[in-house]
Amino acid sequence: MSRLRSALSRTVAHPAFHLALVLALLLGCRWLSAGTVQILTFALIAIIFSQSINLLTGLAGQISLGHAGFFGIGAYCSGILAKTHGVDVALSVPLAALLAAAAGWLLSFPAGRVRDVYLAMMTLGFGMIFYEIVREWNDVTGGTMGFPGVPSAALHTLSILGVRIDAAAYFQVVLLVAALVLVLVRNLTQSRIGRAFFAIHVSEVAAGSIGIPAGATKQLAYTLSGALAGLAGGLYAHLVGYLGPESFALPRSIEVLVIAIVGGLGSIAGQVLSATVFTFLPERLQVFSEYQFIAYGVILTFSLVVLPRGIAGLLLDPPRFIKPRALRRAVALRPDPAVLRPEAAGGGDGGSLEVASVTMRFGGLVALDDVSLRVEPGRITALVGPNGSGKSTLVNVVSGLYRPSAGRITFEGRDITGLPDHRIAAARVVRTFQDPRLVPHFTVRENLLLGAHRLLRHTGAAAALALPSALEEEAQQLAAIEAVLALTNLTVVADRTISTLPYGTRRMAEVGRALLARPRAILLDEPAAGLSEAEMERLAQVIRDMKAMGLAILLIDHHMDFLADLVDDVVVLDSGRVIYRGGIAEMRRDPAVIAAYLGDEAATASEHAHA
Amino acid sequence: MDDFFFSLVLAGISVGSVYALIAIGLNLTFWTTRTLNFGQGSLMMLCAMLVVFLASQGLAMALAVIGGLLVVAALGVFVERFTIRPALVASGGSMGWVVSTLGFGIVLQGVAAKYFGSQAMAFPDVLFTTQDYVTVLGQHLSLQYLVVLALSVSLILLLELFVRKTVWGQAVFAISLDPELALVQGMPVRLIILGSFVASSLLAGVAGILSAQIGGTVDPAFGFDLVLFGFVAAVLGGMGCSVGALVGGLAVGLISKLVGGYISTAAEHAIAFALLMAMLALRPQGLLGRPEVSKA
Repeated sequence: MSRLRSALSRTVAHPAFHLALVLALLLGCRWLSAGTVQILTFALIAIIFSQSINLLTGLAGQISLGHAGFFGIGAYCSGILAKTHGVDVALSVPLAALLAAAAGWLLSFPAGRVRDVYLAMMTLGFGMIFYEIVREWNDVTGGTMGFPGVPSAALHTLSILGVRIDAAAYFQVVLLVAALVLVLVRNLTQSRIGRAFFAIHVSEVAAGSIGIPAGATKQLAYTLSGALAGLAGGLYAHLVGYLGPESFALPRSIEVLVIAIVGGLGSIAGQVLSATVFTFLPERLQVFSEYQFIAYGVILTFSLVVLPRGIAGLLLDPPRFIKPRALRRAVALRPDPAVLRPEAAGGGDGGSLEVASVTMRFGGLVALDDVSLRVEPGRITALVGPNGSGKSTLVNVVSGLYRPSAGRITFEGRDITGLPDHRIAAARVVRTFQDPRLVPHFTVRENLLLGAHRLLRHTGAAAALALPSALEEEAQQLAAIEAVLALTNLTVVADRTISTLPYGTRRMAEVGRALLARPRAILLDEPAAGLSEAEMERLAQVIRDMKAMGLAILLIDHHMDFLADLVDDVVVLDSGRVIYRGGIAEMRRDPAVIAAYLGDEAATASEHAHA
Repeated sequence: MDDFFFSLVLAGISVGSVYALIAIGLNLTFWTTRTLNFGQGSLMMLCAMLVVFLASQGLAMALAVIGGLLVVAALGVFVERFTIRPALVASGGSMGWVVSTLGFGIVLQGVAAKYFGSQAMAFPDVLFTTQDYVTVLGQHLSLQYLVVLALSVSLILLLELFVRKTVWGQAVFAISLDPELALVQGMPVRLIILGSFVASSLLAGVAGILSAQIGGTVDPAFGFDLVLFGFVAAVLGGMGCSVGALVGGLAVGLISKLVGGYISTAAEHAIAFALLMAMLALRPQGLLGRPEVSKA
C-alpha cells in the first residue's frame, strides 16, 4: 500500500506528468462535447479557488467562512469592467484579482488580531456584508435582479485582445492560467513563504522567536488568497455571463471549504482532485445534486475526524517543503561550521545582554521584582530558582512576549525593551521553549530551515518563480544546516518528520533551529528537561560549542549536576527577586538559596553545620 | 416622542432580549469547552419549525412546544458527543469543531428544507396575537413584544442565579477556569459539559420560538442570521460574560432596529457586522469582559 502510494506520489509530482496532462487537455478539448468542456472549465475555476483557501486555511491556518466574498469581488469587478466600461478581459481579470487582493489585505488587519471562533465569525461576517452590498447596490451590481450580459464564452460575446474566444478556446485559456497558478503555489509552498505560513499556523509565538513576524505573514496570506479567489471569480464571470448575488452567498463559501478539506488541507494535488470530483458529481449524479447541501453538511461534520488529511492523506505521501533543486545544489556545497560563528558585535559594549531593574506585574501579581542581570558573550549564565520564581517570565520579557512594567533591556548597547518578538530575534537574541514548538509535520531539516528564515532575503516573486538566485540562497542555508545537524547529532534523522521522533530529539532540533537564526545571545528555557543522561551530555557539548563560538548564553535549568561543570555564573531567582549572583560552588552554601529551595529551617541548620 | 421611534425602541429591546438569550446559549458551551455550536441557528430554526409542524398535526400548543424542545435537547447531546468531543480529542486547534458544528447545522438546515420545504411557514400564535396590546402612558405596547422581553430576561436571570448560587453552577465556573483540575477534584466534568450543550440547545430552541413569534414566519434559513446577531451580542458584551450578553443583546437589537427603521432594513446586517469587526479589532474582550492573560 505504502509503496503504491509513493509510486503514485512520484507520478503526480513529476513534471512530465503535468506536461502530458496539460497537453492532452489542451489538444483534446476539441473532441469533447460542449457540456464536458464547460464542466471542465468550472472544475479548473474550482481548482484555482480551492488553492486560494488552501493557502489561507491549509497553510497559514486561518479559517475562512466567507471566501465567496473574495470570489464575488473578482467576478463583479471583472464583469463590470468588461461590460460597463469595455475593458479588455486580458486586463479586467488581473484587475479583479488585484482588487480582491486589496480586500484580503484590508481584511487581514482586523482578522489578524483574532483567532479561533472569532476569526470564523469575522470571516462569516465578511461574506455576509459582501452579499448584502451586492444585493443593495443596484446601480452597479444590478442588485437582486443580477448582472446579465457579461462578455462570456457561453454567450459567444467574449474576445480577448481582439481575438474571438469560443468555449473550447476559453477552456484552453483557463487551463493555462490554472497550470500557472498551480506551479506558482507549489513553488511558494516549498519556499520561505510557505514554510513561514506553516510556522504561524502551528505557533505564532514560536514563529516570532525565530524572527518570523506573525502579523506581516498573515497579511501576505490574506492578500495572496484574496488574489487567487478574485482571479477565480473573474474567470467565472466570463464563463457564465450572468452574475447574481446568490452565486456568492454562504453556500459557495461552504462548497470551497468542503473541497479544500476533502482534498486535504495543505496538499495541492488533493485540491485538484477534490475540486474536479465536486464539480462533476452534481452535474453527473442526479441524486447528489438533490442532496448536495446535506451531503456537504455530512462531509463537514465528520471529515476532519474520519479523514483529517483528506484524499491526499489517503492516496499520496505527505508533501515536502524544500525544493528538491535547492537540496541538490546544497549537496555540492561543503558544510562549514564557521558559518555559524557570529561575526563580531558592532557595539563597543562587548555585546552583552543586560537586564536592568525589570519589573513585571500581572494584575496584582508581581512576577519579576526589580531584576537585574547581565549575560556576557562567551559565558554561560545559569538562571535557577524554584518553580514559579519567574525564570520563564524573565525569558518571555527579554524575548519580547511581554512588555515589562518597568525596567530596561539592552543588547549590545541597544535598547530592545518592548520590541515585538520577531524584531528581538532580528536583533540576534533568540530563545527556545520549555516545550519544543516545532512544526510537527515538517522534517528536522525543514524545521531547521525555518530557523534561517530571517536570513533568506529573496523576494516573494523570486520564491514563487523559483529563480536560481532564490534557490542558491536556500542552498547556502541548507549547507549551514548540515553543519548544525552534525553539531547536534541529528544527521541520521534529518529527513524524518518531527512527529515521529522522540522527545529528546525534538528538544535538540529546537536548539539547532535557534542556532540557525544566527543568535549572538541565546536563551535556553530548560533545554535539559526530560532528556536522558546521554542526551544531556550531548546537549552540554552543544552548549559548550556555542560558548566557544562566542555566544552570550542564558541557561535555565533545575539540574544542578548538569549545570555544575558547565556554567560560569549563576543567578538565583526566588519569588521574582534575585537572591544570589555568583559562582555555582558558593551558591550551594548560600543561606538565602538554601532557604528558597529547602525552607528556612534547613537554612538555619546548614548555618549551624558550617559554624 | 413620536410613535415610530417608540415602536422601534420597543421592538429593538424585545428582539435584543432574544439576541441576549442566544448569546447566553453560546456562552454556556463557551464556559465549559471554549467552543461554540455553529449549528445553533439551525437548532433555533428546527425547534420553531417543529412547533409549527406539531401544532398543524392537531397537537395542543403547549405539547408542540415541549415536543420541539425535547428534540433540540436530544440534538444537543448529539452535538456534544459526535461533533465537539471527537474534534477536541483529535485536537488540531479550533478548525475541527468550527467545521464539524457548522456541518451539523447545514445538515439540519438541508433536512428541514427537504421535509418542510424551503418556503416560509406562518408561525402560530403561541402567546397572544400581533393585535394584542396594552396602553401605557398613551403608547401602544405590543403584548407579544412585552412577553418575549419578560420571558428572555427572566430566563437570563434564572440562569445567572443558577450559576452563582448552586453547587452545579459553581462547578460550571470551576470547569471554565481549569477543566483538568475540576476533573481531579472529582467533578463530573463530562456530565457537566454534556449538560451545558443540552441547556445551550434548549435556550436556542426557546430563542427560536420567541423570534419566530415576533417575526411571524419561519423558514429553513431563519436561524442563521439570528445566531450571528447573537454572536455579535456576545462579543459586544464580552464572550462568556452574562451581564455583557444582556447589554450586548439589547444594544444590537436597538441599533439594528433603529438603523432598519430610519436607514434601510438591508443595512441591519451590515451594521451588526461592522460592529462585530470593529469590536474584535479594537477591544476583543468586549465592553464588559476582561482581557485574558495567556501563559506563553
